[in-house]
Amino acid sequence: MRIRCPHCGERDNGEFSYLGDAAPRRPDGMEASAQAMHDYVYLRDNPAGTLRELWYHAAGCRSWLVVTRDTRTHAIEAVEPARDVARARSSGEAA
Amino acid sequence: MSDPATTRASSSQAFSSQASSSQAASSQAASSQAASSQASALLWRPRGAWEGATKPGRHGAPDGAAGVRLTLRDGFGLATLIAADGKDADLQAILAERFGLSLPEAGAAQIEGERGLIWSAPGQWLALAPSPHVLRDLPEALRGVAAVTDQSDSRALVRISGPQARAMLAKGVAVDLHPRAFGPGRAAVTSIAHIGVQLWQRDAGPTYEIAVARSFAGSFWGWLEHAAAEFGYEVEPGRV
Amino acid sequence: MTTLALQRAEAPVSATSADQPFRTATGGLIDRNRPRDFSFDGRRLTGYHGDTLASALLANGVRLVGRSFKYHRPRGILSAGSEEPNALVELRSGARREPNTRATMAELYEGLEATSQNRWPSLALDALSVNALLSPIFAAGFYYKTFMWPAGLWEKLYEPMIRRAAGLGRAADAPDPDTYDHAHAHCDVLVIGGGPAGLAAALAAGRSGARVILVDEDFATGGRLLAERREIGGVSGAEWAARAVAELESLPEVRILTRTTLFGVYDHGAYGAVERVSDHLAVPAPHAPRQRLWRIVARRAVLAAGAIERPHVFGGNDRPGVMLAGAVRTYLNRYGVLPGRRLAVFTSSDDGWRTAADAIAAGGGLAAVIDTRTSVPPHLRRMAEAAGARVVTGGYVAGAKGHLGLSAIQVVDGYHSTETIACDGLAMANGWNPVVHLDSHLSRRPVWDEAIHAFVPGALPSGMQAAGAAAGRFTLAECLETGARAGAEAATACGFEASAEAVPQTDPESVAHTPLWRAPKPRGKAFVDFQNDVAASDVELAHREGFRAVELLKRYTTLGMATDQGKTSNLAGLSIMAELTGKDIPSVGTTVFRPPFTPVAIGAFAGHHRGKEFRATRHVPSHAWAEENGCVFVETGLWLRPAYFPKAGETDWLDTVVREVETVRTKVGICDVTTLGKIDIQGRDALAFIERVCANPFGTLPVGKARYAVLLREDGFVMDDGTVARLAETHYVMTASTANAARVMQHLEFCRQWLWPELDVQLASISEQWAQYAVAGPRARDTLRRIVDPGFDISNQAFPFLAAAEITVGGGIPARLFRISFSGELAYELAVPAAYGDAAWRALMQAGLPYGITAYGSEALSVMRIEKGHAAGAEINGQTTARDLGLGGMLAKKKDYIGRLMKERPALTDPDRPILAGFRPVDPSDRLRAGAHFLALDAEPSLEADEGVMTSVAYSPSLRSWIGIGLIRRGTERHGERVRAYDPVRGADIEVEICSPVFVDPKEEKLRV
Repeated sequence: MRIRCPHCGERDNGEFSYLGDAAPRRPDGMEASAQAMHDYVYLRDNPAGTLRELWYHAAGCRSWLVVTRDTRTHAIEAVEPARDVARARSSGEAA
Repeated sequence: MSDPATTRASSSQAFSSQASSSQAASSQAASSQAASSQASALLWRPRGAWEGATKPGRHGAPDGAAGVRLTLRDGFGLATLIAADGKDADLQAILAERFGLSLPEAGAAQIEGERGLIWSAPGQWLALAPSPHVLRDLPEALRGVAAVTDQSDSRALVRISGPQARAMLAKGVAVDLHPRAFGPGRAAVTSIAHIGVQLWQRDAGPTYEIAVARSFAGSFWGWLEHAAAEFGYEVEPGRV
Repeated sequence: MTTLALQRAEAPVSATSADQPFRTATGGLIDRNRPRDFSFDGRRLTGYHGDTLASALLANGVRLVGRSFKYHRPRGILSAGSEEPNALVELRSGARREPNTRATMAELYEGLEATSQNRWPSLALDALSVNALLSPIFAAGFYYKTFMWPAGLWEKLYEPMIRRAAGLGRAADAPDPDTYDHAHAHCDVLVIGGGPAGLAAALAAGRSGARVILVDEDFATGGRLLAERREIGGVSGAEWAARAVAELESLPEVRILTRTTLFGVYDHGAYGAVERVSDHLAVPAPHAPRQRLWRIVARRAVLAAGAIERPHVFGGNDRPGVMLAGAVRTYLNRYGVLPGRRLAVFTSSDDGWRTAADAIAAGGGLAAVIDTRTSVPPHLRRMAEAAGARVVTGGYVAGAKGHLGLSAIQVVDGYHSTETIACDGLAMANGWNPVVHLDSHLSRRPVWDEAIHAFVPGALPSGMQAAGAAAGRFTLAECLETGARAGAEAATACGFEASAEAVPQTDPESVAHTPLWRAPKPRGKAFVDFQNDVAASDVELAHREGFRAVELLKRYTTLGMATDQGKTSNLAGLSIMAELTGKDIPSVGTTVFRPPFTPVAIGAFAGHHRGKEFRATRHVPSHAWAEENGCVFVETGLWLRPAYFPKAGETDWLDTVVREVETVRTKVGICDVTTLGKIDIQGRDALAFIERVCANPFGTLPVGKARYAVLLREDGFVMDDGTVARLAETHYVMTASTANAARVMQHLEFCRQWLWPELDVQLASISEQWAQYAVAGPRARDTLRRIVDPGFDISNQAFPFLAAAEITVGGGIPARLFRISFSGELAYELAVPAAYGDAAWRALMQAGLPYGITAYGSEALSVMRIEKGHAAGAEINGQTTARDLGLGGMLAKKKDYIGRLMKERPALTDPDRPILAGFRPVDPSDRLRAGAHFLALDAEPSLEADEGVMTSVAYSPSLRSWIGIGLIRRGTERHGERVRAYDPVRGADIEVEICSPVFVDPKEEKLRV
């Protein structure tokens, strides 16, 4: 598999390590509930199809990336810096 | 040769200073360090990152000119610059104004002689200088703008040139180094033989430089010897 | 290659018939001026440069080449390519001995040594051919049915016996003396195959200026053009190929990789190939690799891998002398070899008649042509009959005779009458299968093409096109045309201006055929899969026993397994199953093709990574000194760490470790702890960041102080521990354990980039920048004082326990000093720039000389941390919580941090959980073992009775006995209680007393002096 790191360009998947679904959000803060944290840590969908997932460019720029990939064909639709995605998500919530 | 220990400790030359002036500064410094005895000066000899791993001379396939030239770098200065949040522009401005260097974008390096800035990661660069003390002022100059971390001893650095340099690198570098895809002023963070490397091209010769973590220097050299053997290679020590 | 191709026209005559009795007087692309001596089973033979081992053997009249896998049947040469299932030999000898080498792929070189396999005592007289008489028990599924009882005999008797009887070659006994290489290549257009389609594609793409790589498994480029008597635009096919190669070689962005097999197709345009750089030489040239593994990344690919001919399935179709018809033409035309003096052809297509014509042209005798079709073009019949051959139409070959080599065939004609025709060679022409393996590697399935009775590529991987025979386009004109078009399209897709030029003139040909899937009434065993000795009857048996699905058929009968992966057999097996189940072939389906296309040596995959280069080794800054001083090292991850430093007279490692520990506890010692991960944390929000990733509080940590730090995973278990020191207002340094250094850095980056991108914090690994040494023992301060520059006060008052400062040593060398202790002694960690690591170590050893300093390694370090009850890797094992490790009390209550909520789950706060405690043997002479389980004194060993496990043990010089720490239920409440440390693996059952895990200086008085 080849992943196009938005910073380093296309690289072999051996340079990356995989984490999983990028959808769950950590319930931050002292008011977060145990149930919400449980869901964040353990509950994952496993779709046959498009999935936004977290990869780490370990052997490259050490960026966390959000890779939109079809789990059936490995076709990669988009690769975004996770930090940008996370920031956009936060500012979206603030707005 | 001046004692590099005292050179490093006492000189306060700017990032832009020339090697010759730093030499002068260091000899001054050495004489001012009368406290350190002859014995301790001998004892505190820095050890080059390639020491013990490399043998200068002509190796590998013996016929004809060496296809690959490996120049061992030593004594250089290196620092990680990481821009504080939203301070990329300030960092750019200070570096340009005070040091005459602009920040290279992702996958690029700006090299002038023995000085340069090499992109490492988003918001992160490696500053390269002819000696560590040249970088001493950087933390102060960039306070509040970027985190500066001295990395002068953290990497072993080798310059690779010769007609077969690219063919040799292709044995370990998965990045396309063809002139249509890479060239002078390009840089990559990747791995060779499972060892993390930072690599940049100096000129169209082509001449490349590779920085590898110091603890891996011996193993990395083992790969270099293996990869270069069929082309014949020349190893030359090179204090810049 | 050019010289080879031109050789045919010159046709010199130098061979004497006595030399190579089956060599034609003229012709072929071999170099008759360069004879090559070689040996087969010790027999001295001669061939020519340009031969394969197979062609040279045939030239010398050697037809019997090996014995089959199960039945030890005599086998010869079936093919002339990489699909060869039979002619597997051991090539070379000694350390270079290489089993299962296809004689059809081995290039002849001077002095080549080959040995037949799987026979004893000799190839002609094989004692184990008795297996053939036992063939009923070797039928499909014999592994599962036979040898199953009694079970105890499997390992002792059956398996060794089967391995001896049914082995293939023998691997070398000595390490491979050659080297193997890896290389990466990138291109716009990858062309797979160097036949007419591949060459046409490469030309069309290459002329546009695109970066092109053409890979071809043969040593001479041209594919079937080298094997057929065909013309392209008025010149011979071989000449056309030579000119194409010359043009491609003149294009600077085109690279031709010959002797290179493209073995795997991977996602997103990645390909694997292996180049046999030196396999055609007796010994690789100095410094040259034997093979090179290529990882190719291509934007587009043209699959022009050709097709593989299908054998007929009839009785005795495995006899030496029975060959594929295309291979017969290869031997005749490319190598100038007669595969038989009286050749018969068994065909179901016009293609077979071409073989008959080539045999006549080469001066060989033609015994017969048997065509399964009733109607045959009259000119073909006339040609054969003019050569004195018997022509049978509407018939088939039912059986073959001749024990060690074919002597006659039994032919059934259209009226069901049988005749026996004497012949010494039989060419089988039963149609061709496009090579659909590579395009199927990404879980794609080929589709059935009824027009050519073969599977053709289905949906191709993104960026790949098929051309020529690989696409089911078998005529030469189609190969050239589809190749050129595919090459041009691929280059165009990469942004180049390319066009497929007009195809040169070729003579018309017919590729019509009506396959005969198997002889209706075979005489004798009719083989489907030669390599695995699977006969048509085995497929029938599998059908009777219900193994009808194609994947079950494969596993049950072994059809299509082993080194050739059924290249010549799969379709025959499918067709028989289709007939038996009353389905058509596409409904039966194919098995999944996976990489590699042909076997790849493990050495090629390993490349440079063997022996001490198996994986990278990291050296600590004190490595040179350690080596000079006889240190014994231990591998810790990639690190080579000093384990202990034996002195003269110390004969046992324990003597050394005891001395090192005692010296540290009473005097002073230094230990290289550079392997710890060191992370620089800076920025406005550095503290907030540390507060969120660490489970204990840091808000009160002043500048100039360090603190123990514990990191949890989000699921509540401990991830790692270390220290955090505050060097300046917004500047911290965190350490992580050796084993977890990279993982912790990745975790911190995750937190910074993904969880809390709003925090202004900068992380940099400084693990490699700083050499770090523990200086420990009552005289640690005295030792350090002698190297720390004047002006830095390190007295107990000025630099108390947990102080941290930036200082200089040795006359101005920047350093960092931390007063932290893993050993429990007065201790410091001194960090100096790595280049001064060696110097600092030597300076410390010299400075400590008056105090009796010792270097100590990871063994002594471990003993001392066990004596102090400090948890390390064995305890922080991913299944323990901070509370389990006795660290519960230090966790923060008023801040959110990773793992805060999940560590409170009921099971993780169960008071009955195993918790850290110390253990002492009741009998002080007993030795403790890590891994022992704790049981009540009177308990029967069982999972239910298990109370925990001993995690770490050491011989404690301080206590003069073995001690251990471990996790036991309610451990803190049970000090003084006795339990058993039960270790059935090593047969130990020892009574131990539970105690505090802190064995030495529980009040921590030594730390603070």
